[in-house]
Amino acid sequence: MLFHSKFLPFTFVVAAFSTGSTIWAQVPENTDTIIVEEDYSLYDNVEYTEEGARRFCSPKIEGLSPAKLISIGYDYQMGYNMSADTLNSIQTGPGSFNLTAQDAQVLSSHGMRIGFNIPVIAKTNLVWQLGANYWEQRYNFADPASLENPMLKTLSAYGLKTAGLSTTLFKPLNDKYFLLFQGSADYSGNYTLKDMMPLNYLKYSAALIYGKRPSELKQWGVGLARTYRVGEINYIPVVLYNSTDTRNKWGTEILFPARAHVRRTINSRNMLFAGFELEGQSYRMWNTSSVDAFQMRDDELEIRRGEIRLRMVYEFSLKEFIWLSIQGGYRINYRFDMDRLINGEENYRAFGLIDQPGYVMINNLTNPLYFNISINLVSP
Amino acid sequence: MQTKYLTNKHIPMKKLSFILVFSFIATLFWSFAPTNTGGDRLIGVWEPSNGRARVKIEKIGAKYYGKIVWIKEPIDPVTKKPKTDKNNPDPDLQKVPLMGYRMLKDFTYKGNDEWADGTIYDALNGSTYSCVIKMTNENTLNIRGYIGVSVLGRTDVWKRLAIKK
Repeated sequence: MLFHSKFLPFTFVVAAFSTGSTIWAQVPENTDTIIVEEDYSLYDNVEYTEEGARRFCSPKIEGLSPAKLISIGYDYQMGYNMSADTLNSIQTGPGSFNLTAQDAQVLSSHGMRIGFNIPVIAKTNLVWQLGANYWEQRYNFADPASLENPMLKTLSAYGLKTAGLSTTLFKPLNDKYFLLFQGSADYSGNYTLKDMMPLNYLKYSAALIYGKRPSELKQWGVGLARTYRVGEINYIPVVLYNSTDTRNKWGTEILFPARAHVRRTINSRNMLFAGFELEGQSYRMWNTSSVDAFQMRDDELEIRRGEIRLRMVYEFSLKEFIWLSIQGGYRINYRFDMDRLINGEENYRAFGLIDQPGYVMINNLTNPLYFNISINLVSP
Repeated sequence: MQTKYLTNKHIPMKKLSFILVFSFIATLFWSFAPTNTGGDRLIGVWEPSNGRARVKIEKIGAKYYGKIVWIKEPIDPVTKKPKTDKNNPDPDLQKVPLMGYRMLKDFTYKGNDEWADGTIYDALNGSTYSCVIKMTNENTLNIRGYIGVSVLGRTDVWKRLAIKK
């Protein structure tokens, strides 16, 4: 026996104090459910322990579709007709143009769409994300050998590509108001890996929005954007309006005029959208390595592509954080015209209010159905 | 070989009393002294950046758990009853009340102000994410939920709360 019996009670007290905090903190093994009753009203009236700590509004509201960290998709437009204009331009370099206008049947245009969006800083008072994307559009003509118009020939040979970097900054000003900045630099054209363009052909877009988040179910904002979504450079007002009804069945996800959707939430892992997206970019006609009679480098030509996609989108969780997005709709051509830059200067036309200088090719596209499928890793 | 048992006959009673009293005082000091250098600094009530809930972090055994103890809008606007975990993919758990729900689980202290190996549950979408907690100062936590690797995640900043007196 280690201690005399008269010390036993004392020994127990020592032992109890030694392990006391553990004994008193024990709760049942099941850690999913709290069995111990607690007076939760204790936590109604609290304060920050840190002096000067403030609340800031969140970049999201309840019920929004999840943000996509990684997206790998495929876009497919069904057949349509492309009428290519003559090229009203002055050739200053070597080679000769075939100026013939030509109608061609596009059996399909399609391509991969890959995107990444990674949070870099996520503080209460600042959220910063970086993104990268690569989109391609390949043109499958009915009779490629018969193509004579230089634009049709280069589309058939190289298609159009966009590789871009983007950044998003969310800066809450307090628990209600915020600033949202989005910027991107896009490298768009008919280049190939073997024939890359100089980086000074990057196109820069940006938007700044001042917004309010009056509740967990609504946020709105107004701002200004510099954008190529209609193909050419424009400066436009933008409106943000995201909302969810109290039952979390219906909502809106709107960044007008870029996109606007009504959302029907079947449950938190199944969502249906109806709306539109305005999609476009300005593509430098660069690659001429194997397409004769279209020496575009000296003429600084760009295709201004803008289209409206009326669509239905169904997004759902395949498994946990892996979501599938399926969309189908009608692609309405807004513009697919060729512009000639003079000394690299952009032509600002303010949605046609300024009509000079004119386009060097005015092309017409009929409107097909389109489909898009993507698999996505969504953000926590 | 004969085993020798230690009995009180081998220790003078005066010395034994001194040892016990010293042990008692030392144990008392150990029990009540603030433990502000180890993992227990995580224990307390915290508020996520969205302010929608308050979470009480406790220690159970050697691990840390956090349960929801306050909800900004506790009543479900549809059922007019206290909110439940209705977005849980397991139908059996969809009626479990959110109040008291253990949303942080199984964290162990790794040193260097970091608690890891745990999970965080997002009741808004019914998803559970891997999670690591970093204490940037005594009153601020960076809670990073992620999928697979830390870079595929999102960090939320939580602030420590104290009950007003």
